[in-house]
Amino acid sequence: MKHLTAVCFAAVLTCATACQEFLDVNTNPNAPQSVAANLYLPPMLHWMVSSPQFDGRYVGHYTQQWYSASTAAAPTSPAPSWGKMGYDPGSDAGAQQWRDVYWSLGQNLVDMNAKATAEQRWDLLGVGLILKAWGWQVLTDLHGEIIIQQAFDPTRTTFDYDTEEFAYEEIRRLLDSAIVLLRRTDGAVDQGYLAVGDKIYDGGRTKWLRFAHGMLAMHLSHYSNKAAEYDPARVILEVDSSFRNNADDPLLAYPNTNNDDRNFLGWTRNNIRLYRQTRFIVNLMNGTQFGGVVDPRMSRMLALDSANTTYSGLNVNESGFGALTASQQPRNFFGYTGTGGVGSPGRYIFDDRAKLPVMTYAQLQFIKAEAALRMSNQAAARTAYTNGISAHIDFVNDRSRDIGTTPTQITTAEKTAFLADTNIVPATVTLSHIMSQKVIAQFGWGHNEMWLDMRRYHYTDSVGGVQVFRGFARPTTLYSDNAEQLVQRIRPRFNSEYVWNRPGLDAIGGLASNYHTKLLWITQP
Amino acid sequence: MSALYQPTHMKRQMHIALLGLCLVAGQAFAQQRTITGTVTSEQGAPLSGVAVVVKGTGTRTSTNNTGAYSIAAEASQILQFRLIGTALVERAVGADDMINVQLRRVALDLDAVEVTALGETAARRSLGTAQQTVRGAEIAETQRENFVNALQGRIAGVDVTSTSGVPGASASITIRGVSSISSSNQPLIIVDGLPVDNKTVNTRVFASDRPGSTTAFNNRGLDFTNRAADLEPENIETLTVLKGPEAAALYGIDAANGAIVITTKRGKAGGGVEYSNNVRLESPRGRPELQQIYGPTSSAGGLVTRFEYFGAPYAAGTTFYDNVDGFFRTAATTRHNLVFSGADPANQVNYRVSASSTQQNGVVPNSRYQRINLVGASQARVNTWLGADLTMSYSYATNDQPLKGASTSTVAGVGVGSPLLGLLLWPQTDNAEDYLTPAGTRRRLSLLAASDEIDNPYFNVQKNRNNSRNNRLIANLGLTVTPFSWGYIKTNIGSDGYTNENEVLRHPESALGFSNIGILDLATDVSRDLTAQTVFSVTPRTLTPSISISGLVGHFVYDHRSTTDALVGMKFLDPNFVSVNNTLEKQNATTDEQRRLVSLFGSATVDYRQFLYVTVQGRNDWTSTIPRGRNSFFYPSVSTSFIFSDAFPSLRRLMTGKLRIAYAEVGRDARPYAFRPSLENKPTSHGGYGYGFTGPNVELRPEFARSVEGGAELGFLNNRLGVDITLYRKVTTDQIVNDIRGSYATGFILFNLNGAKTRSRGAEITMRGTPILKNNFAWDVVANFAASGSIVLSLPHDLPETYVSDTWLYGNVRNGTQPGLSTMSLTGFFYLRNNRGQLLIDPLTGLPLRSNVVSGNFIDAGYDRQPDFNLGLTNTLRYKSFNLDFLVDIRKGGDVFNGTEHYLTTRGLSTRTLDRDQPRIVPGVLRDGNENSANPTVNTIVVIPSVQPAYYTSMSEELFIEKDINWVRLRDVQLTYTLPAQALRFLHARSASVFVRATDLFVLTNYTGLDPIVNGNTAAVGGSGAAGIDFGNFPMPRGFSTGLRVGF
Repeated sequence: MKHLTAVCFAAVLTCATACQEFLDVNTNPNAPQSVAANLYLPPMLHWMVSSPQFDGRYVGHYTQQWYSASTAAAPTSPAPSWGKMGYDPGSDAGAQQWRDVYWSLGQNLVDMNAKATAEQRWDLLGVGLILKAWGWQVLTDLHGEIIIQQAFDPTRTTFDYDTEEFAYEEIRRLLDSAIVLLRRTDGAVDQGYLAVGDKIYDGGRTKWLRFAHGMLAMHLSHYSNKAAEYDPARVILEVDSSFRNNADDPLLAYPNTNNDDRNFLGWTRNNIRLYRQTRFIVNLMNGTQFGGVVDPRMSRMLALDSANTTYSGLNVNESGFGALTASQQPRNFFGYTGTGGVGSPGRYIFDDRAKLPVMTYAQLQFIKAEAALRMSNQAAARTAYTNGISAHIDFVNDRSRDIGTTPTQITTAEKTAFLADTNIVPATVTLSHIMSQKVIAQFGWGHNEMWLDMRRYHYTDSVGGVQVFRGFARPTTLYSDNAEQLVQRIRPRFNSEYVWNRPGLDAIGGLASNYHTKLLWITQP
Repeated sequence: MSALYQPTHMKRQMHIALLGLCLVAGQAFAQQRTITGTVTSEQGAPLSGVAVVVKGTGTRTSTNNTGAYSIAAEASQILQFRLIGTALVERAVGADDMINVQLRRVALDLDAVEVTALGETAARRSLGTAQQTVRGAEIAETQRENFVNALQGRIAGVDVTSTSGVPGASASITIRGVSSISSSNQPLIIVDGLPVDNKTVNTRVFASDRPGSTTAFNNRGLDFTNRAADLEPENIETLTVLKGPEAAALYGIDAANGAIVITTKRGKAGGGVEYSNNVRLESPRGRPELQQIYGPTSSAGGLVTRFEYFGAPYAAGTTFYDNVDGFFRTAATTRHNLVFSGADPANQVNYRVSASSTQQNGVVPNSRYQRINLVGASQARVNTWLGADLTMSYSYATNDQPLKGASTSTVAGVGVGSPLLGLLLWPQTDNAEDYLTPAGTRRRLSLLAASDEIDNPYFNVQKNRNNSRNNRLIANLGLTVTPFSWGYIKTNIGSDGYTNENEVLRHPESALGFSNIGILDLATDVSRDLTAQTVFSVTPRTLTPSISISGLVGHFVYDHRSTTDALVGMKFLDPNFVSVNNTLEKQNATTDEQRRLVSLFGSATVDYRQFLYVTVQGRNDWTSTIPRGRNSFFYPSVSTSFIFSDAFPSLRRLMTGKLRIAYAEVGRDARPYAFRPSLENKPTSHGGYGYGFTGPNVELRPEFARSVEGGAELGFLNNRLGVDITLYRKVTTDQIVNDIRGSYATGFILFNLNGAKTRSRGAEITMRGTPILKNNFAWDVVANFAASGSIVLSLPHDLPETYVSDTWLYGNVRNGTQPGLSTMSLTGFFYLRNNRGQLLIDPLTGLPLRSNVVSGNFIDAGYDRQPDFNLGLTNTLRYKSFNLDFLVDIRKGGDVFNGTEHYLTTRGLSTRTLDRDQPRIVPGVLRDGNENSANPTVNTIVVIPSVQPAYYTSMSEELFIEKDINWVRLRDVQLTYTLPAQALRFLHARSASVFVRATDLFVLTNYTGLDPIVNGNTAAVGGSGAAGIDFGNFPMPRGFSTGLRVGF
């Protein structure tokens, strides 16, 4: 037995030393644990552009840009409640941005910013702070209270929500810092390095700087209901520091090599094939709301009916195609009847390869126009308004050119004629002109901003006797939990919060079944 | 490794020395001679496989098919005859060269030699833990391609769930219930002393299943064979189940759920040639009933808008096609097995080579499983102190399965790729067999998008494909060195390597493939396990005349590596040419997994007068999957066996009895790479890296289970009736829950956390008896009873619920569990009730409200898939040359979710929707604010389902969870006729028998679906998986087979 003990002892000793090396195979060979700072960037930029499109399926129902023609017994994408300004209680629908801000950006952004700081890459850090600000901005505008201060602590199990006011201050702080950083050229600022991960501006620091100003302009314009804080002059200043023209638009080109790098609105992703344009959007462009002037963009952006004769839209108060006969039913956004279009070219931004923007020059010009008008600077407002429409016409032409589709380019003559029409650009532009044209410029992609605009103007506000959003009407029947209130926010992501962070939700009243009708702080005086 | 060279009984050094001398000069000693004879049962039937041992030596052989043996021995030596289930017989070698022996069947034999952990053997009397053995012949006789499926009902406490009735379907084994919430609950499988891989391919390794993919299978739409099925049942000598951690303690962390220890056959003296075959015909056992009154909801121009049947009644005289019956075919399976074996009379060298072939066709067209096994095993005694044993086992298996129940895609919708659902949903007024257009493309019937119209089942099974091919070589080299008389060293070195190629095709025209113009997944898993184990065993040493001690120490090294290279091709150019070369878009994914384990272990048994045994064991494991510093863990076990009938001999007249009690601790590690998050190469635009779903847990620790079991083995009526009772209780603390969710504000979606606690309790009873034993007629019965249950005591971080996401496969039901609930519970969007348990009714619609409407939460409603008990009854009746065997499998309780029926109801096809014109009031109270008051408003809202189809379409899955499902299932019944001597002479055969057999002949059950044995996922999914979730799964067919067995 003595020998035995000795053998055991020797074996234990041998193992203790040699084994540790033998056992050291728990470093994941399939994936790194840390990469160069610029390699974190591409997925985050992808989601900044694409994530709003995921939620746009639902938000677009609130803003009545489109409507699902599905008549399935229990349609799930989306549930019919969205069209009634409701929600889908047990689902994560409408919370893709929640997922991407906390997870796709999340710790990746923390890591990237830390590396960029350590390596003095001020340009990359500036982009990082823009991403951070973008995340809080879209989330707070979508959900109201969100988690900021306690976020990204993996040891926590419950999280306290921060107020919208805090979120807004934080966003401004981040954008101010980004602007300072993006002006710097010292340290390791390097366009080539940034361009590795930045396929939006190819590392163009100056364009990112304009982007930061643009975001700030948009951010500040949201205060329009808060007399004390609203500063239209500052909004105009920021717009002027922002994009010079469409060439500055932050556009993401989709390489289209697999499902994940395709345009979400393209046919392959099959997300909007059952969706159809609504009467609201058709009437904004077919002349109904603008003195009979047919918008030249309509034939490029909207879809003809099956009979190829007119542009019709769905009545959001009817299921499916409602009273439309088969020949009157609008084609899908790819331009085909039924669910057709697979493998065929799409139209406008509705194509696998179509570029999508985060924000556009046209959008900012409308923001400027609104601010100028609120300052009673009609001339500036009118100029910005005209710029906005003009830029968006170019935008439409550019998108058609990108994907090489059949709609012809809008000619300069058509554009000039359109802009010269006083039904479109009158001598005195009104808020109604600006906001309704802004809807057209954001149609199909600018869901976050469009919905916030609608909530700022309480959907159906009229200014000077004209409805701000021309022809918009609330659904006649609202979702049962709404208690006749219009939707103001989307509940935080179900499988993140309603299951795992109920104490946090409880503290902000998020467990109420009508939480989605609670007014946002930013839209209140 | 067999016990060939292991002295199992106490022996004196003198004997060893003598034996050594004898062997060295073997041939020269005239007094050693060859003894032959025949071993028969009490009724004179020859017994094969009886171990014949020269007592106190390593000389050993076993009887062949005719019961004959031949062994070298010398006068005055003692021959021992051993067979499981019979009493030990000893005969001294006298003047005769022939010794014939009759073995007496007993139900309890404490002197029987049992295989224990590490392939050691010990007398049953010394075992302080629960274990149970099945003879290989009994398993092989079931003619099941996957031997795992033969275990149900044969061993108390073993529960086998086959995923479906399709050839090559995976089968999962759990012993003593589900104790792990998210990790595997399957036992370790040991063959000839070393572990073998029992992986079922997880679709996670497929390139199309990468995170966020819209084309993922999530272990729902596909199934793959579990790799233990590569073993040919005909090669199994014995299979022993070590049930709890107490028995399996020496196997360490991988045996936390028990172990299945298999020894394979070796050659015997006088072996010769054996051949057996089997032809089986299978047909489906049942089909769901579909209503044939109401037509599709609406149609335009002959095309239906969708496959929902809430429309007008069919016109009189409408032609109906029986698409369901016409779809299935009678399927033939053939098996052949050829064995050559032999040994010299002294059994110094033996060999056994076998070739087996299995060609199984399924009742579903285009489904098959084929396997070839080539096995060579040889043992040799090199000299007095060295023995060698080598087995090389090659297998080739190929499997074609149809897509599985929940062949769902996030794009196309639930069940859209399922052949069974397609079969049921296809309009009965259309001949489904006609599945192609004149142009040879998919013939469609509806106005739905091609990706939304469920596939015609014929089209589906012809055009979609799930094929896998597996080449596997298992080698196991054993060396036994006996340097001292008092001990020996046994080393096993093994490699288990296979290449598993999978090809999954979603045809460009099919519902699942349409949006991507075809998807072809390829995944090749090159897997290899290297293991080395050395055991130094000390044979019993006498300390005092009444006390002796024996023991062992050992060392184990395990190195697992699996590399899966996966490629997915999409956008087919030619729709019918199946190759990734024919696709425009390709993506790849490599999954490399490595895990290493180093262990030291020891065991000592003290024996007091051969009626009291105390065994102490300990093992220390070092694992690679836990951070350094916490990756070493030691766990002890202690067990006691007390033969009270020997301690108090006066009892022996009445009974034989043994009591045992055991305690063990066992640890368990995490899966590889679980504690640190890593970055994934993202497929989103322009590449780059980002974190995966899983967050960090650098504090990850091993989990620990404490288990205690006690039992009694009792023999009555001269041991003709035996009872074995076991009670156990296991508490797992700090359990690692994989992929548990949290708020996304953590920055991640999933975590691997310690901190769950579960408790399992149960009882197992095995009774054996021989009610009738006459000269020409005998009847043996074995009853295996098991009742078990596990509950979750707590979850990490006080999280409210955890579930395995793959199990959320249909509707809103999943294997969610919460503190206080069974590990087999189901949570869902169930109906809301007031504080008196009355249904809450929506005042607007008159329909009951579901939990999602208010909170969106998955709630518990008392559903539990855990049965109250299982009972397996094996009966063997022998009359002259006829032998009738049958196994009846009985289950009581346990809930099953009939998702198929829910699906058919929401589509208006279930016969339960026939009363759709009947006005009704759903009993309940209105949710009007008074629901919890003393006077809730009773619902009076009339609903007519035909005008309000939401009555059906929004029904909670709750109504389709069938409570307390029982069954009585005739698993196997076989009649064997052993050919008489004249026939043998005519055939020039030594033995021959023919048999007829029926498998899964009938099921009596209160389950309304096709088959309650079902798994909505595959055996790859951890925790309780989706066992008991029945959605579009093909049931077990009924089989009739016949075959013969002949030895030359």
